[in-house]
Amino acid sequence: MSLIEVSHLKKSFGANDVLHDINFSVEPGDVISVIGSSGSGKSTMLRCINLLEKPTGGSVSFHGKDISEKGVSLAEYRSKVIMVFQSFNLFNNMSVLKNCTVGVQKVLKLSKSEAEARAEKYLSRVGMSAYKNAKPRQLSGGQKQRVAIARALCMEPEVILFDEPTSALDPEMVGEVLAVMKSLAKDGLTMIVVTHEMAFARDVSKKVIFMDGGYIEEEGSPEQIFGAPEKARTKEFLSRYFEQ
Amino acid sequence: MGFFDWVVRLFSEYWRLFLEGTGYTVLMALIGTVAGFIIGLIIAVIRTVPTEREKSPVKWGIMKVVNFILSVYVEVIRGTPMMVQALIIHYSWFARIGMPALLSAIIIISVNTGAYMAEIVRGGIISIDKGQIEGAQSIGMTHFQTMTLVVIPQAIRNIMPSIGNEFVVNIKDSSVLSVISITELMFMSKSAGGTYFQFVPAYVICAVIYFILTFTVTRILRFVEKKMDGDDSYVICGSQTDFRSQINAKKEDA
Repeated sequence: MSLIEVSHLKKSFGANDVLHDINFSVEPGDVISVIGSSGSGKSTMLRCINLLEKPTGGSVSFHGKDISEKGVSLAEYRSKVIMVFQSFNLFNNMSVLKNCTVGVQKVLKLSKSEAEARAEKYLSRVGMSAYKNAKPRQLSGGQKQRVAIARALCMEPEVILFDEPTSALDPEMVGEVLAVMKSLAKDGLTMIVVTHEMAFARDVSKKVIFMDGGYIEEEGSPEQIFGAPEKARTKEFLSRYFEQ
Repeated sequence: MGFFDWVVRLFSEYWRLFLEGTGYTVLMALIGTVAGFIIGLIIAVIRTVPTEREKSPVKWGIMKVVNFILSVYVEVIRGTPMMVQALIIHYSWFARIGMPALLSAIIIISVNTGAYMAEIVRGGIISIDKGQIEGAQSIGMTHFQTMTLVVIPQAIRNIMPSIGNEFVVNIKDSSVLSVISITELMFMSKSAGGTYFQFVPAYVICAVIYFILTFTVTRILRFVEKKMDGDDSYVICGSQTDFRSQINAKKEDA
């Protein structure tokens, strides 16, 4: 049984069909990169997996259980399949430490000392423990994103969904965030990463999904997608990328 | 006797009246604003509860009814003068069940402020970036947790200037509650002026007191806002290599 099974997922906003029939599965320890041009539905797909968007059709299963069914706790599911956003979405009214502990205390119902121990552990993991008293507005973009990753890690989730985590950052900061993500991948964390960082997709992921126009155009190992893409659209997209 | 002589004489003779009136005014404005704020907060949170018709039709139905009642409350209270509300509610209901006028007045001013606050808080909630809500939901917070832990604290900070406005308005508009014989500042000024038939000097004293009150409240709220924003500097706890060192860092100019 797969960890996450996406089958026949459809999403439309009014008359605008964004996703048509998306099917793929995620095994424990998978690092999946989702690439494709803007507007191809990558982020929408990720948001459907976290149910920030309600799918119009199809299903998403977690450990074989359809998450849209009645009786499945959405909060509990989301605490296991956590999202990291392009715009960080750190809580502006809380310090870095509080950002990390609030979910552990209020959602996982652990004690304050346990939550703080976790926060210390994961903040130092992303190299941000020195800033635990800072407010988000006092941090740079790269620092914010590392805190956001620490916040996600504090929940000790089974999967982390990354929605273009480096797209709002300048090239230097991209490096620091990707370094953190690489080390997480190395430790066997299951990740789905929507990204425009082709080098990351090629070097770090186990599987690459290329999306175009709301369909999965091609999927396979990084060697296969980057070395010998089969579809014409994939070739075109990648050649444009590597021309630069 | 000149105008200012009358001002001085009235104040020195009747300062106790002015002081007592000021006390009632502050009492009503303070309780009215705080209670109104709490009412507004509750209404605004109830109004943002997400409901899906297909998933839970009963909850959806209840919320529809509750929301309707709340909008009636907000619209009717905002759409009629507080003085009229006070006259109708106090004499046709509260006075008959033996409620003291002061309690009636406090209830009326609270209910009135609540209707305005509901809209102010709603505006504050809308002003919060959707990303904050998604960030909270994405780590599994419920709607209630998202609201109380993330959205409301930020919304309150953003609406502090409007809350201050309401407070100032309440200090001044509580004067209309003299119609149900509350001996607040306006009422007392009228009485003080009446003894010598010198109303204008009495009202000048009254105006000065109102101004001192509102000005003080505005300053206090500005101070509270600053406190809520917190310090711009923060302490970096140790360096990566030496955890004993504590460096004070100032926020860099962005």
